[in-house]
Amino acid sequence: MSSLLQSLITELRRGTLTLAVLSQLRQPQYGYSLVQSLEASGVVIEQSTLYPLLRRLEKQELVTSSWDTSEARPRKYYELSAFGQETFQQLKAEWLKSSQELQHLLQGEDDK
Amino acid sequence: MKLIDIYIEEVTRRLPEKNREDIALELRSSIEDMLPEAYEERDVEAVLEKLGDPVLLAGAYREQPMHLIGPRLYDTYVSVLKMVFPIAAVIALISLVADRALGTQHTDTAVVQMVFVLLGEGIWGICSVAIQVFFWVTLTFAIAERFGWGDGTDITGFSRKPWSPKDLKSIPYTPKKAAITRMEVFLGMLWLGIWAPLYFYADQLAGVHRKGENGLVLHIRAFNQDVLHAYWPLVVVAIGVGLIVVLAKLVERHWSKRLAFLNLASELVAAVVFLLIVSQPDLLEPAFITYMANLFEITPDQFVSRLTWGAVSIYLITAAWGCIDGFRKAYAR
Repeated sequence: MSSLLQSLITELRRGTLTLAVLSQLRQPQYGYSLVQSLEASGVVIEQSTLYPLLRRLEKQELVTSSWDTSEARPRKYYELSAFGQETFQQLKAEWLKSSQELQHLLQGEDDK
Repeated sequence: MKLIDIYIEEVTRRLPEKNREDIALELRSSIEDMLPEAYEERDVEAVLEKLGDPVLLAGAYREQPMHLIGPRLYDTYVSVLKMVFPIAAVIALISLVADRALGTQHTDTAVVQMVFVLLGEGIWGICSVAIQVFFWVTLTFAIAERFGWGDGTDITGFSRKPWSPKDLKSIPYTPKKAAITRMEVFLGMLWLGIWAPLYFYADQLAGVHRKGENGLVLHIRAFNQDVLHAYWPLVVVAIGVGLIVVLAKLVERHWSKRLAFLNLASELVAAVVFLLIVSQPDLLEPAFITYMANLFEITPDQFVSRLTWGAVSIYLITAAWGCIDGFRKAYAR
C-alpha cells in the first residue's frame, strides 16, 4: 500500500477513534479489556494511541477513572461520566447523520 | 522483568513529574495484561514492540505541543521576523559606525583601513544581530504558543476577534503602483544611516585624504566643524522626522495621501535645515577651498559658488522628486 493511501486511511480513522472508544465505555473498562472489545468488533487501534487518548478523555471530563486494587494486578478502570454520556449521544447522532450523507454521495458515484 | 522497567522508565522520564507514577502504574498493568501466563523475554519483546517507540508514546501522553510555533502563530512569526531583521541590521550598522567614529576621534587612523574594518565588523555585527533577533523573536513566540495565545478558534495575527469577510473592508485596496517595497524602506534607512554619521563625524571623514604612514589620512578638512554643527539640534530633528517617515512606510506598506503629506513635511524640514547650513558663509575651510580651486583651475569664489549651487540644486531636485513621487503613487488608481 502506498504511504499516501496509508496516511489518508489513518486520517480517516483518527476522527472515529474517539467515538469508538466512548461507545465501549458505558461499562467500566480497563485499558487492555478495551483493546480486546474494540478488536472483537474489528476496530484496530494502536495501544500507544489508546492509552494517551483515555487520559485525554479523562482530562476533558468525558470519562472518570478509578483504580481497582482488589485483584492481584491493580487496574485502572475508565467509565463515561454523565457529561461523557451526553456528548457520546450527540457525537453518535452526528456520525450517523454524516455517514448516511456519505453513503448517499458514494452511492451516487457508483450509479454513474 | 527488567525490560519492562526500562521501557516504562524511558516513557515516564519524558513526562511531567506529577503524572509519572500514575502512568507508570497503568502502563505496567497494561503490559502485564498483554503477556501470557508464563512469559519469556521473547513475549515481552513482542508486547513492547506493539507499544512502539517510548519517545513517541511519551509524546502522545504529553499535553504540551511538540512544536515550538504552531500553524496559527507561524504566519505572524515569519512576518515579525521579516520586519525586525532589517530594522535591527540598520540600527546595528549605525551604532557601529558611530561607535567607531567616536573611538577614533583624536587618532590618525587610516581611513581606508577604517572602511575595511567597518566592513568586516559590519558583516559580523549584522550576523550577530540576526542571531539575536531570531532567538528573541522565536523565544517570545514559543512562549506565546505555550500560553495558548494561538489557541483561539480564529486568531490571525494579533487580533483575537474571529475573522469575518467584513474585515476586508477595513483593508484598503492597494494598487500595485502604490506599494512600498521592503527594499525601498531598507534603502531609506540606509540613506539615513549613511548621512547621519557623515554629518556628525565630518571632521574625520570629509575632506582631502592623503596617503600617510597608515594608509589614507585626512589631510585637509572640508568643513568648519563649528559652523557645520551650529544647527545640530535641527539636524537631529530632521533625522528624527526622516526616521518616522521610514517607519511609517514600513508599517503602511503603500503610499497614501497621509503618508505623502508626511513625506512632504519631512522633506521640507530637511530642506530648510540643509539650506540653513549651506547658506553659512564660513562653512568650508579656506584651506580646502584653495586646494580644490587649484585642482580645478578656477578661482576660490567660483569653486564655492559652483559647489553651493550644484549641491543646492541637486538636493532640491531629488527632494522635490521624492515628494512628487509620493503624491503620484498615493493618487494612482
